[in-house]
Amino acid sequence: MSGLLPPRAGVVLVAVFAIAALGNAQAPQAKADAGGVPAPTPELERGRAVYVLSSCHFCHGVDLTGAQMGATDLMHSPLIAADQNGNFIGPVVRAGKPNLQTAMPSYPDLTSQEIADLAAYVHYLRRQGRYRELTMDVGDQGDARAGETYFNANCAACHSRKGDLAGVAGKYAGAALRARILRPSDDPAPAGTDRTTLGRLQHGKLLERYAAADVRNVIAYLREPSR
Amino acid sequence: MKQGPTILTRREFGKVLAAAPLAAGAAQQQRLLYSINEVGIGLETFSFHDLPPAGDPRLIPTIINNMREIGIGECEIMSGHIEPWPTSSTGWWVQSRRAPGFQQLREDARRWRLSVPMNYYANIRRQFEDAGLRIYLYNVNFNETFTDEERDKTFEAARALGAEGFSSSTVISEARRLVPFVERHKMFVAMHNHNNLVDPDQFATPESFETALAMSPYFKATLDIGHFVAGNNDPVAFIRKHHDRTVNIHVRDRKRNNGPNRPFGQGDTPIAEVLRLIRDQKYPIRCYLEYEYGSFRSSVDEVKACLDYCRRVLA
Repeated sequence: MSGLLPPRAGVVLVAVFAIAALGNAQAPQAKADAGGVPAPTPELERGRAVYVLSSCHFCHGVDLTGAQMGATDLMHSPLIAADQNGNFIGPVVRAGKPNLQTAMPSYPDLTSQEIADLAAYVHYLRRQGRYRELTMDVGDQGDARAGETYFNANCAACHSRKGDLAGVAGKYAGAALRARILRPSDDPAPAGTDRTTLGRLQHGKLLERYAAADVRNVIAYLREPSR
Repeated sequence: MKQGPTILTRREFGKVLAAAPLAAGAAQQQRLLYSINEVGIGLETFSFHDLPPAGDPRLIPTIINNMREIGIGECEIMSGHIEPWPTSSTGWWVQSRRAPGFQQLREDARRWRLSVPMNYYANIRRQFEDAGLRIYLYNVNFNETFTDEERDKTFEAARALGAEGFSSSTVISEARRLVPFVERHKMFVAMHNHNNLVDPDQFATPESFETALAMSPYFKATLDIGHFVAGNNDPVAFIRKHHDRTVNIHVRDRKRNNGPNRPFGQGDTPIAEVLRLIRDQKYPIRCYLEYEYGSFRSSVDEVKACLDYCRRVLA
């Protein structure tokens, strides 16, 4: 460890989550602190510790919104979209950006584990934020042809409009359909199967990358009567 | 050579510091701190990272409450805490100028600045004074998006706030434009540095400061000792050389080589050495705390910790 966390912090974190787990669904929502809302898992909470103790939140926002001082908007940054397990985030964080008007500091002492935890937390925040943003989108009706193109390029490897998704547009109305497309994580498919795990990972990545129009277009395509 | 603004001698400075708590009013229940062993202490309101947004009516009362809770009586206040616009909408960060809607925001901010009555600022000054607090510097980041009329109004605003002058994150090219304004308004602008060593227009090195200091006696320095160290410069040497032109320092602790902000005493910034130099040489340089390292605790708690550190090294 680079020394970001005090020596006993890990013990405290484990204890906090053990208590939270005992309380299960009845547990009250964790109280926010100066670094935002505690993350839902110990792994993500480790990432939050790196994010906050490195003071990333002062410029990039506690939830990736409200970037200040000319900082990059991580919610929409293509670099974050392309990042996998910190492979792009890590080099930038370690080197900093000394050429910026208000330079981004460098963090050369962060360990590989801390970079991985930080990246996981940034992706988590981004998915949360993009979900909020895209579920509130009230754009036009979408272009079914553009949706078909997008679907074939990004969804067709796992899904088919006439197969597993047949009738989905009739089953879910409006916002519910949009929410299912954006985050189908409560699918009744058997948990832990490779297909489900991979699917959730893929949907997580897509959630970070969708343009608002992509979602509208895919919905228009799914709603379109079969040709 | 034109005369510059009045800079207090060390004896006068000591008298001001001694009198300040009295000026705060005997009615104040909490004793506010203006100095430690004759070293002037204040804070930069940027330290409060958990404030209501710009323009929120709770913002000024929150700053006042925070300062009183910490017990520090003097501040340098950011324009983003005075104006109903975040600092990003008034053009300092070049990256922010590219954001969608920036031009409209900038025009709105300009219209507001040119039309707001001066009693808007006087009312804020009154709120601070009623709480026993003093705004010593108005922190405005002058930049090329300002019109001349806007620059004039900003000087009037600083006077209405009761500020002695400005601290400004600005650039050398803007300093050149400001020369006739500081001389007409007879008010100083203290340049604040960051640590961008690539852009020669930025304040980051001793030479960049010296370029501006040579332009007008009304130009001073707000030396951010943490950023200075992050740019691998020596704040002790700078203060020894330019103590007569240094209005205040921003006290923060950063690591060298563009390293991160750290809790006081954990970075590479010689905070103790700088504070003791100012104390021992009786330089009339105010030391303003600036909290920017990461923490889960509130800004108020962390500024208190920063203040405790300064108390220890100045004891």
